[in-house]
Amino acid sequence: MTELLEFLVKALVEDPEAVVVEELEEDGDLVYEISVAEGDLGRVIGKGGRIANAIRTIAKAAAVRIDRRVIVDILD
Amino acid sequence: MSATDDWPENPAERAQELVEGVLDELDLDGEVVVEEDDDRILLTVEGEDDYGLLIGKRGQTIDALQLLCYQAAFRGLRERKRVVVDAAGYRERRRETLEGRADRAADQAQSNNRVVEMDPMSAQERRVVHERLKERAGIETYSEGDEPNRCVIVAPLLPE
Repeated sequence: MTELLEFLVKALVEDPEAVVVEELEEDGDLVYEISVAEGDLGRVIGKGGRIANAIRTIAKAAAVRIDRRVIVDILD
Repeated sequence: MSATDDWPENPAERAQELVEGVLDELDLDGEVVVEEDDDRILLTVEGEDDYGLLIGKRGQTIDALQLLCYQAAFRGLRERKRVVVDAAGYRERRRETLEGRADRAADQAQSNNRVVEMDPMSAQERRVVHERLKERAGIETYSEGDEPNRCVIVAPLLPE
């Protein structure tokens, strides 16, 4: 899942080297905190959060494979 | 999913790589066939697997992937075109469903002589509905509301 999120986010940003995805566990859920270069925040969040929501939707599909609930946070 | 820091420059190739990476992560086999013309890049997943997980409920996963492909393909570029991701004939099936709904909404608007508000849809899906009904006499269509709840309105035209 970390790999998938890194892959998706790096595809969207100008500065892929600044992309960091951290995996945490909270109450049995997997939480992924994504940080990107400040100039790339808009590219990862999108108008009204639609890009961020698309990333979450893909992550949710991948979570079915590992049978876990995942939460994706983009740190700003 | 190895070359993440080394994306191709070509938009269609970038989109293809993104779809292949996501297929991989969903443990799905399939070949991504790319067709490009002046208006759009079409990426079709061809294979024997069950692509239900890739498509998602009401197409939400494949629509999300399509949006990300568009963003990734044209990042930093001004010249853009549509990107369509398809699998297992989903886009065609969905178009038939939407056209059926468009027809029923138009029937309702006319027989009850009242405005019919359809369910919220993406811009791409709203276009299918507008296209379907644009030749039909006695009604007009337009969109109302804000994304993601923007929906098509089918309204009866007043007799002249």
